[in-house]
Amino acid sequence: MEDEQDRLLPIANVGRIMKQILPPTAKISKEAKQTMQECATEFISFVTGEASDKCHKENRKTVNGDDICWALSSLGFDNYSEAIIRYLHKYREAERERANQNKATASTQEKDEEEFNFKGTQVQQLQTESTPTPSEFRILEKGNSSSLKKRY
Amino acid sequence: MRQAGTYSAILWGGLSGRRGGPHCLPLARIKKIMKKSGDDVKMISREAPIVFSKACELFIEELTQRSWMVTMQGKRRTLLKEDVASAVIATDIFDFLVNLVANNSCNSMDNPDQEINIRSKLI
Repeated sequence: MEDEQDRLLPIANVGRIMKQILPPTAKISKEAKQTMQECATEFISFVTGEASDKCHKENRKTVNGDDICWALSSLGFDNYSEAIIRYLHKYREAERERANQNKATASTQEKDEEEFNFKGTQVQQLQTESTPTPSEFRILEKGNSSSLKKRY
Repeated sequence: MRQAGTYSAILWGGLSGRRGGPHCLPLARIKKIMKKSGDDVKMISREAPIVFSKACELFIEELTQRSWMVTMQGKRRTLLKEDVASAVIATDIFDFLVNLVANNSCNSMDNPDQEINIRSKLI
């Protein structure tokens, strides 16, 4: 019989993400983490189902990143969709660069360090056009109550 | 699965500080969950679990924040599963989770009749 926990996202990871968005004095009950674990897992299934339907209708076999983005938007998660499109774009750029780097030894690293702040617990950070200083990876402040005023 | 290298460490540096790789959530597990979501999910591109790693992070953050607002309304400092359930019910885009949280609350109440009642209200 399959371990129940294998069908869910790991509770440690889920708990860590929850903790990081809450004030430092906040406590989270174990059952709340378990509920979140199940909700996040269901989220994946739900969005994948939608993306997979689209692929099926278009006679495609492979569910790709763009399909997930589309599904997110289609299901009402527009604000995620925008952030992820950027994330995906940067990932693809990085993959291209990595492939190029394997061929050449030119150091192109400096110019790509900008804007790689993916610790995007605040979606508006990803949506801004400002360029952070190179190689600046911000430690996000915990306990910042303004983080609760996200625009949706 | 891509290997984390020097360049990747810079790219994903904003995510470093998490142990065990550049992404918050394990890609293999995400892929497993995706495959189980339906029979016609056969092939998954390499980037799909990576996209989900980010999407899930945003999802967990949003649901956690909304749950916390319920906690604060109750003048508590411990986030409980009931707060998560309340946040789910109060948010339209989380409708797909209503059954899930109703089941959870029923299990703790240990009352199968209650489960039937809640299910019938949701239909």
